[in-house]
Amino acid sequence: MTELLEGFFKQVGKTDLLSREQEIEISKRIEAGDKRARDQMIKANLRLAISIAKQYQNKGCDMEDLIQESSIGLIKAIDRFDWRRGFKFSTYACWWIKQSVRTHIASHSASFKLPTYAKNMMFKIQQANAEYEREFGQKPTNQEVADLLGVSIDTIESMIECTVPSVSIDKALGSDGGGGTRTLRDTIPDESDSVETVIDNQKILQALRGAMSSLTPREEKIVRLRFGIAEPDDDTERFPITESEYSDLKDAARAAKKVGAK
Amino acid sequence: MSMPKGFKSRKGYATIAEIPGAMDYRTIAEKMTADGDKMNHATARNVFLSAMRKLALPIHSLYDLDDDDDSIMVTAKDPEFQSGIVDMIDEYGIENLR
Repeated sequence: MTELLEGFFKQVGKTDLLSREQEIEISKRIEAGDKRARDQMIKANLRLAISIAKQYQNKGCDMEDLIQESSIGLIKAIDRFDWRRGFKFSTYACWWIKQSVRTHIASHSASFKLPTYAKNMMFKIQQANAEYEREFGQKPTNQEVADLLGVSIDTIESMIECTVPSVSIDKALGSDGGGGTRTLRDTIPDESDSVETVIDNQKILQALRGAMSSLTPREEKIVRLRFGIAEPDDDTERFPITESEYSDLKDAARAAKKVGAK
Repeated sequence: MSMPKGFKSRKGYATIAEIPGAMDYRTIAEKMTADGDKMNHATARNVFLSAMRKLALPIHSLYDLDDDDDSIMVTAKDPEFQSGIVDMIDEYGIENLR
């Protein structure tokens, strides 16, 4: 957790919660256009916004962003709250806060945005999975889900693939942010050749260059034939073989082998 | 091919099955004969191994390995060595290695 966030939590914790009567009284003042009352209502309910935001952490969004979104939801709730209906403010506000946070997660948790129909399809897949599991006590296969929803298995597989959360390779390791400066990038092994290997290869190459020049034309031709090395296009004199010729030669070699065996 | 009793090749035998367009010694012999250089499959193999031996020699010097004939011949016949040579030729082209 960042120092900034810790300081914010401490500050929020200092504000007292409102009683039912205080809520009504402040709401009346807000209705009358009292901006200080509105600020007081926001401050007094920030704890609620934070606690809801915490329920959605580890969903691919930063905690700071989630708190910001839940605060926006809280403000919306304050502007729309009708104290005459007799409900507690927190009962009403939690729906606005959750809606705000969920919308943010849906549009920011992935590096690409899914269209609405895809989100709906994902929702249907999750529902079908849950219902199937409830009924049969085991998870359905993708084919079974596809049959249940009347869509192709390709659609189901694409949807599942789309919802795999993407992670930034620059993300700091450790959930508490105290993992030092190590990032995910630092844990990915470098698969390129080491400097020693590159130097080694260069030495081998140099050694082979000299040796390759010492091959006689006959040796080089046999090495080429043995390894199936592409013949130079301009050297049809030394390498005039075609595919049909190759096939004929192979047949001849087989025949020779049979004769040898007898 | 029968082997002396007790002989066991440590790294298997070099095969050309996985190399596209590669030829066995008998086919090579037929091709060479057709091109006017009469030879049988054993000669084709001997010429090939002679070429491999020439290529193995500088590698032995490079890594300070035994440079007696037997040791160099073991490397020349080694399928891993031959596969390495194919990779090198594939990457750089035989013309660029001369």
